[in-house]
Amino acid sequence: MSSRLLQIHGGQLEIDELGSGSPVVYLHGIWDAHEDAFVEELARSFSVTRLHLPGFGQSTGDEKLQDVHDAIYWLLDALDAAGISEAALIGHCLGGMLAAELAAVQPRRFPKLVLISPFGLWNGLHPTMDFFAASAAQLAEALHGPGAAAPLPGGQSLEEVVARAKAREVAARFLWPLPNRGLNKRIHRITMPTLLVWGSEDGITPPDYGQDFRQLIPSSELHVVQGAAHMPHLAQPQAVATLVEAFLK
Amino acid sequence: MKVCMFHLMPYRVLPNDFKEHYKSVWVDIPSELFDPQVGAQLYDEYLDQLEYAATLGFDGICVNEHHQNGYGLMPSPNLMAASLARRTKDVAIIVLGNSVALYNPPTRVAEEFAMLDCLTGGRLVAGFPVGTSQDTNFAYSVNPATLREQYYEAVDLIVDAWTRPEVFSFDGKYTQLRYVNIWPRPIQKPHPPVWIPGGRSIETWGWSLDHNFVYASLSYGGYKRAQTTMDHFWQVADKKGYDRNPYRAGFLQLVVVGNSRDEIDDKYAQHVEYFYNQMLHVWPGYQDAPGYRSIDTIKASLTGGTAQLGDAVTRYAPWKQLVDNGNVVVGTPSQVAEELEHLARSLHVGHLMLLNQIGSMPPDLARENIRLTATEVLPKIRHLWDGEWEDHWWIASQRSPAAAGALS
Repeated sequence: MSSRLLQIHGGQLEIDELGSGSPVVYLHGIWDAHEDAFVEELARSFSVTRLHLPGFGQSTGDEKLQDVHDAIYWLLDALDAAGISEAALIGHCLGGMLAAELAAVQPRRFPKLVLISPFGLWNGLHPTMDFFAASAAQLAEALHGPGAAAPLPGGQSLEEVVARAKAREVAARFLWPLPNRGLNKRIHRITMPTLLVWGSEDGITPPDYGQDFRQLIPSSELHVVQGAAHMPHLAQPQAVATLVEAFLK
Repeated sequence: MKVCMFHLMPYRVLPNDFKEHYKSVWVDIPSELFDPQVGAQLYDEYLDQLEYAATLGFDGICVNEHHQNGYGLMPSPNLMAASLARRTKDVAIIVLGNSVALYNPPTRVAEEFAMLDCLTGGRLVAGFPVGTSQDTNFAYSVNPATLREQYYEAVDLIVDAWTRPEVFSFDGKYTQLRYVNIWPRPIQKPHPPVWIPGGRSIETWGWSLDHNFVYASLSYGGYKRAQTTMDHFWQVADKKGYDRNPYRAGFLQLVVVGNSRDEIDDKYAQHVEYFYNQMLHVWPGYQDAPGYRSIDTIKASLTGGTAQLGDAVTRYAPWKQLVDNGNVVVGTPSQVAEELEHLARSLHVGHLMLLNQIGSMPPDLARENIRLTATEVLPKIRHLWDGEWEDHWWIASQRSPAAAGALS
């Protein structure tokens, strides 16, 4: 994996590049910005570019992004700077919401789309969790499944604590107070083949949202990973990568 | 020194075991716990207490703003200030304050404060807290990542609305207005004194000083825990070249005055314990939304020692601990006077706010506490800073006889 920093309008972009083959862009979520297991599996078959969202890693400029539209343009600038004219687009969680927005804005740029437990829709019948207000124990279960233990307090470096606080702040910028920024108004423009991946025990974005996305994107198929929670691609990286690989080929 | 009486207006009859059975006193406290008939009576009680404090000689009386909160029944402090305006005469009416991001557009604050300044004859002190995370991010769902930026923009707009004589447009990030031209305008010139009730955001100190506002430290932690915060504030003042005029600062302290410590233990301890242990029972997840504190403030709190408003008491805090830690200053009038003078000197503050009605304290006890504080403690301490420093952040008051001529 090689990392580089690019200057784009409004800040600095950090990208990781690994693997070879047809191009795939990965947009991470709130909790997996530095988890490599899934992208490394994908890199066996594809040329993967992982963009670090502003406020994560060494990507900057989050304070200039007022709303999701600003984020879309930041991402378009980032893709242009990284030299990506066309690629399969994979997004998870917050990155999933942004991937869906990008796919709606420039459908011809992304011939295939993969959304892994994305945000972006709000359904009062099955609300997303207010994870911002959750206790550490509640959050652990929602992220990793019933019985998951909260990480022990303390023992984290100042940098780790600050990075975590920053990640949550960026998430709040786009998801507060309800994670609905109007994607439903544009989701009809997602017409490329779309794979939806969800964990059956997802306590953050309940699997019912998989059904909601499936209804709104006629060109989609939904795959539920039994036993996984909010991050099925990290709970079972090989299985999910195999699934994604088959879908993309 | 100015000494003011602060009121929270709590719903003082929440269940005695509230903490055991309920998740939070704030944000999602169940509606069935509020009886409007009781609420109506409480408002009368508390307004009576504030007026009583005024008649006994407190320099100012203070109201504040909280939402969806069982220990603070004033989502609109301006309504309370208006209730007090025509029934008081010389006392400063201190609104601490309007949480500006919760008023849309912010010029609403400029207008209502101008009305209050006119109604009171120039006795308004205007407070602009950022607001707690509970109130702003959770009760009103203001985005925590942008709250502070929105707040700074709103305060600038409010001050402009008060002071710019011409009609002007405002193209802000959070507010766009074509015609800003508020009627009425405040009596006090250039505008009412502005106090910033604050927690511990390190940016707030420098910003308050630069804008010539008072920094009023409001927390229930008491003066011993506040020492670090106030030391940092004065260091920022030094660095920026501002004089150490204590009237640049304010501080809130809980106080119980009685005839003897035994009497106080006997009559008051349970009410103060109730405040800290039942009424401050707030779900931790509502206290600090991400982005509410800047990254710099977070780093400072981890490396340096400014404690948290909401680092409330999670274990039960007994009366003795609350007294020993300085959460509440208690004693005979001489003892309290001595401790308050010591506190004011250590923290170096010129505006002291005292909370006399605490927790479940019923009106007879609250009024006795107010009476003893006003008549036997105030005279001993109000001389502080006399002859040393001028208070440039106080009301400039009083109606002008010339106005009567204009109307005849």
